[in-house]
Amino acid sequence: MRAAPSTTENGNLPSSFPRLHLNTSSNLRSRPSSNDAAMTNPTLHALLLLSDSALPLGSFAFSSGLESFLAHNKSRLSTSVSKTKAFETFLEHSLANVASTALPYVLVAYHEGPTLERLEELDNDFDASTPCTVARRASTTQGRALLAIWERALSSSTSPSLASQAAAKALTAFAAASKSSKPDVYGLQLNSHFPPLFGLTALALGLSAAETAYLFLLNHAKALLSAGVRASVLGPYQSQAVLASESLQRCIRSCIEREGERKVDETGVTVPVMDLWMGRHELLYSRIFNS
Amino acid sequence: MSNPFLTAASIPGHGVIHLALLPPSTPRLKTTSYQYPLKLISPAPVRTDDEARHLVHTVYLLTYGGGLVAGDTIDLTVTIEPTTRLILLTQGSTKLFKSPGLHVVSKQCMAVTVAPDSALCYLPDPVQPFEHSCFEQSQTYNITVPAVDSQGTGSLCVLDWVCNGRQANGENWSFLRYGSRNEVYLVMPDEKRKLLLRDNILLDRDDVRDGIANRMHELAVFGTLILFGPLFRSLGQFFMAEFKALSRVGGRRWESGSESGDEEVDAAAIRRAKRHKQESVDGVLWSAALLRGCVVVKFGAPEVEGGRRWLHSLLVEEGTVVREMGERALLSLR
Repeated sequence: MRAAPSTTENGNLPSSFPRLHLNTSSNLRSRPSSNDAAMTNPTLHALLLLSDSALPLGSFAFSSGLESFLAHNKSRLSTSVSKTKAFETFLEHSLANVASTALPYVLVAYHEGPTLERLEELDNDFDASTPCTVARRASTTQGRALLAIWERALSSSTSPSLASQAAAKALTAFAAASKSSKPDVYGLQLNSHFPPLFGLTALALGLSAAETAYLFLLNHAKALLSAGVRASVLGPYQSQAVLASESLQRCIRSCIEREGERKVDETGVTVPVMDLWMGRHELLYSRIFNS
Repeated sequence: MSNPFLTAASIPGHGVIHLALLPPSTPRLKTTSYQYPLKLISPAPVRTDDEARHLVHTVYLLTYGGGLVAGDTIDLTVTIEPTTRLILLTQGSTKLFKSPGLHVVSKQCMAVTVAPDSALCYLPDPVQPFEHSCFEQSQTYNITVPAVDSQGTGSLCVLDWVCNGRQANGENWSFLRYGSRNEVYLVMPDEKRKLLLRDNILLDRDDVRDGIANRMHELAVFGTLILFGPLFRSLGQFFMAEFKALSRVGGRRWESGSESGDEEVDAAAIRRAKRHKQESVDGVLWSAALLRGCVVVKFGAPEVEGGRRWLHSLLVEEGTVVREMGERALLSLR
């Protein structure tokens, strides 16, 4: 059994214990392919599941302010070159902002492996820290979708470690509590915000902290790039090129380095104008996205 | 509760404002103590013009030199007792002077306890961080949840805004670090509290590859207005309604090309059209959100004056602030 790994690990795979174990057993049967990382890394399967764009979270419906950003800057983004350049800046700023506002909630939920009470507190605090109607809607919609996937599909595949089992228990309890939706003594309700639930789901499926953080930001980048293609800012090959690029990887890594250790009560916006674009998405004359 | 020996009084930058209620209904400024570099000035209280004739107290928050030198720390505790009303003001923008490095941070903390049926209006001038300044501030508002149903919660109308520095000197978000956090907590009679709202801005030059100015996307001022409580409910509704009434981005501007004779005769609509015109001239971008009983208005503008004009015109037009708190509340926005 392996304890929850810490964030200080790089992108490397966590504790080598399960891998060694598998190696030994397969060596006995002397199968050559058994040394493949794919065969021996127990979390790879879960990692691929959670990074799959077919995971029914509905992320494709959100552009995280991109559509609004484009509409507000229409006059100066007339050529495709200027559009691509503006998109790349937007991508970097959006990642930085998500990393400083949401990533700490993902990682704190992951590391604390919280009780139901703490998870409710994280949900409340994230709700309190998101003073933008459109951003809140995007987060709660995806959070509820994730809870549904957890209950109906993923919960039966919880990783055997103690931490994962505890996370699974908290998630299931939260899902049940969120359905009753009774306001507390302060008159506030559960909202099912995405980031803490994502952190716990990743823990329940046995991902490492480093994988969880990277996956969270990469998924955000993928959603933005996909929105960019559909908003015809860049073509599908261009989008893949950005996704594969070293600069995107560097950007994600530096975001994690900067924000990975931040406490949840110190989260904040690092690109304030994002809130304006997101909030003003509701004012667009025509919309293809929900955010 | 009341300690006759003011323990905080000898610590630099510490200040206490206590607006007490003299039974049955006279508010009195019981304490205004402060230590260098903080200075508090309280002019005579003014009665509102409406029937209730509320006595509203005002305290100016000042610092020697008009700002904070590197390493200065201000720590202000404000208590507002039930049914009292307080205006906090500044005299000019709070300047943040150059710091030798990220290790010397100037700080300003304000903790306000807002009792049932009381009100706080804090509409200061913008913070002006000079080149190489390094600053963090936090404003915490503890709203006491009323123990009996006959009381309402306290009310807040508070603004937090920052500009890009001394534009005349070519400064454009050229500080090292700026952080500002606003938090609203609901506090139960048994002292348990729950976070109602957190608005935190962090701008750190070391976090940014391409400079903070780039991140601000040509804005010269950015601000957040927080409205909470029964006194400012109608003001909050007004902001929400005006936000919904903004013209659509990317749509045709039908209102300017109306050909029929029956033009809008409604005075509010005319004012609105005029304001929209001024907004687009000034390049003001704003959004409003209603959440958890608060209305949060965020705005940005390419010129400080444009932002100031916009906010002032909306607050004057709606009228609650002047009616309930008096003209003085808007002094810093003029």
